[in-house]
Amino acid sequence: MSTVLVLLRKDIVGFLRDRTAVSLTFLVPAVLIYIFGQVFGVERSSSGPVGIPLAVVVQGPASAAADAITASLRQEKAFRVMTTEKDAQGVETVLTEDRVRVLFRENKLRYALVFPADAQSDTSFGLKVRFLNNPRNDIETQMVTGLLQKTIFTAAPAALLDSLRKRAVSFAGPARTEAFYRRLAENVAANFGGDAGQIYDDLMSGRLPSGTGSSGAQGAATSSSTAENFLDRILKIESEQLSGQKVKNAAATRSVGGWAIMFLLFSVSGAATSLFDEKKAGLFLRLLAAPVRRSHILWSKYLFGMLLGLVQLTSLFFAGRILFGIDVTSNFGNLLVICLATSTACTAFGMLLASIAKSPAAASGLATFLILTMSAVGGAWFPTSFMPDFIQVLSKFTLVYWSMEGFLQVLWADCTLVELLPYAGVLLAIAAVVNTISIWRFNRGSLFE
Amino acid sequence: MLSLESVTKRYGSLTALSAVSLTLRRGEFFGLLGPNGAGKSTLMSLVAGLKQPDSGRVLLEGEPLVLSRLDLRQKLGFVPQTIALYEDLSAEENLRIFGRLYGLSGARLKERIQQCLTAAQLVDRRRDLVKRFSGGMQRRLNIVAALLHEPSLLLCDEPTVGVDPQSRNAIFEFLQQLNRQGLTVVYSTHYMEEATKLCSRIGIIDHGKLLALGTLDELLTHLPSTETLRITSSGAGSGRIAGLESFGSVSVTADATVLALAPATRLSSVFAHLEEAGIPASAVQLARPDLEDLFLHLTGKSLRDA
Repeated sequence: MSTVLVLLRKDIVGFLRDRTAVSLTFLVPAVLIYIFGQVFGVERSSSGPVGIPLAVVVQGPASAAADAITASLRQEKAFRVMTTEKDAQGVETVLTEDRVRVLFRENKLRYALVFPADAQSDTSFGLKVRFLNNPRNDIETQMVTGLLQKTIFTAAPAALLDSLRKRAVSFAGPARTEAFYRRLAENVAANFGGDAGQIYDDLMSGRLPSGTGSSGAQGAATSSSTAENFLDRILKIESEQLSGQKVKNAAATRSVGGWAIMFLLFSVSGAATSLFDEKKAGLFLRLLAAPVRRSHILWSKYLFGMLLGLVQLTSLFFAGRILFGIDVTSNFGNLLVICLATSTACTAFGMLLASIAKSPAAASGLATFLILTMSAVGGAWFPTSFMPDFIQVLSKFTLVYWSMEGFLQVLWADCTLVELLPYAGVLLAIAAVVNTISIWRFNRGSLFE
Repeated sequence: MLSLESVTKRYGSLTALSAVSLTLRRGEFFGLLGPNGAGKSTLMSLVAGLKQPDSGRVLLEGEPLVLSRLDLRQKLGFVPQTIALYEDLSAEENLRIFGRLYGLSGARLKERIQQCLTAAQLVDRRRDLVKRFSGGMQRRLNIVAALLHEPSLLLCDEPTVGVDPQSRNAIFEFLQQLNRQGLTVVYSTHYMEEATKLCSRIGIIDHGKLLALGTLDELLTHLPSTETLRITSSGAGSGRIAGLESFGSVSVTADATVLALAPATRLSSVFAHLEEAGIPASAVQLARPDLEDLFLHLTGKSLRDA
């Protein structure tokens, strides 16, 4: 037994002295559990997305229904409702549908609710809205659609009925309106069930008729379904997908970029940390005694990482084409551009790891921690809109986020080179900043000693 | 060929080299002898241009060796202590890479690779991965990789560490042959035997200071006695040998009587005295002092214990 204890003590001491092992055992799981917890609402009072930009455009005259729906949408924390935008000079203008479509194209907007000019027709009872969307993330889109329906179905009818009643009073006079509503209640009761008197009272007070259907448990169920039928008849939501209509396999197209970027980060980090192996083998001594500078060694590593990344990404996308039918050829030039920018940024990340870590084990541990965290925060696993505000802000500082956006712009939105340049530019800027830090660290560090 | 002028190198508070001055002539086989941590590798790295001295100068053929002078490195070949080879590449691929780094190409590169593989006795294994080589084969390849570009000065930093005796002898013969062909060699080692066997001149270094410098004979003159007679107890019997003190200082150990001969003592008279005392010749061993004795004399500690 004492032998076992001696060996056990050896293992414990060894483990505690290995900071990489300790951090991988405790820190990495803790951070990832926190991120997953935020996504699935373990900690927050309610789960679901936060702050998704949603444009609301009212094309016709001011309408009580549009106002009521907009006000209700503003109450939803899932949405950041926009009805106006400010230009560079700070001048605020009301959003139009044309402008909204431009914002969709620029990937600044994924959802918009448009109340067309004929949203509330003078000749028919009901409300018509158009839901413009870019469902590049299916989970997010499903949640947004559900929330929109709930909000509209809750807020619209009352406003709609009250508005209708007031218009009827001003147009036809109180007596004729009352008569009209009484006949309406009788018709609703006849078609959907319920007590005509109760329906009349509800209609006159601007409430959604709630007394339709039979009483009792069975009646409640019937009431619910008939209310939905009723709502379906008075609310018409037209959905229009503005992007990704031609995508062949939407699910695979959405997710391939996220997985590709994560594996790429692991590959280039491994390539960069091979610097430690070369140092250990004494190869730097031989190389630096030859007509070779440190910068030659670092540039060769950098170019190797870029090349490896480019080939790996391209291969993964072609594998996606073969296995899942993802269309990678129709916008292949731009795909190469974003793959190259991504490889450049990822390789810079790998070089940074090699420059700040003191051993291959430390570099490997740090790489695991940062890659998993960046993938989670950057949106490679699930939509960033599901995370708290501060993580959404943080995600924009990760290369995973910009790579993901770039891949989706190419594969989903079929963007042009000009539209892609901001994403490639941010990735190259990240690479430049990270490389500057790496060079500074390499000059101060002991890798070449 | 190579000059070090009062070269000092510090790592933080540790002085790795302290005002070392040294001049090497073309064609020399110079040994740098010292224990681990004496400053040998630091001196080698300064000469190889891997580091800059904190003070003093390193001159190669009269020109200062500075990090920016890549052209001067063409004149140097450096054999690191470790097997500095790409073990997942073949012998030939390794040599091709290092040759290209020194600017060789085409037929000339091919010719030099062939010559180096021949010299390392690895022609038959040229396409084998280095990781499949024995330790001795890797060491030989490690050396010829520094010779591809035909340097005029070869720096060998303990190139036989961990090598079996047979391979070690092969490496010695190879280096001696190169030296005979005119190559100047600087060879650092902590093995006295290597320095004695190979080097025409030796520098003894410890704690960053060059303690002594010269040929083996010149170095041994630093010792108070030049030769020692060791008479085993089996031959001398239990008693003290009368009259031995007149030839030098006598010390008696458990298994032998040791006579450190006084300068100008005639050996023939000592042997005659021993014969008269009835000591058989087989019980007498004549030993010359070696670098181990010198290191002990200079530092107060054994080279192996340092």
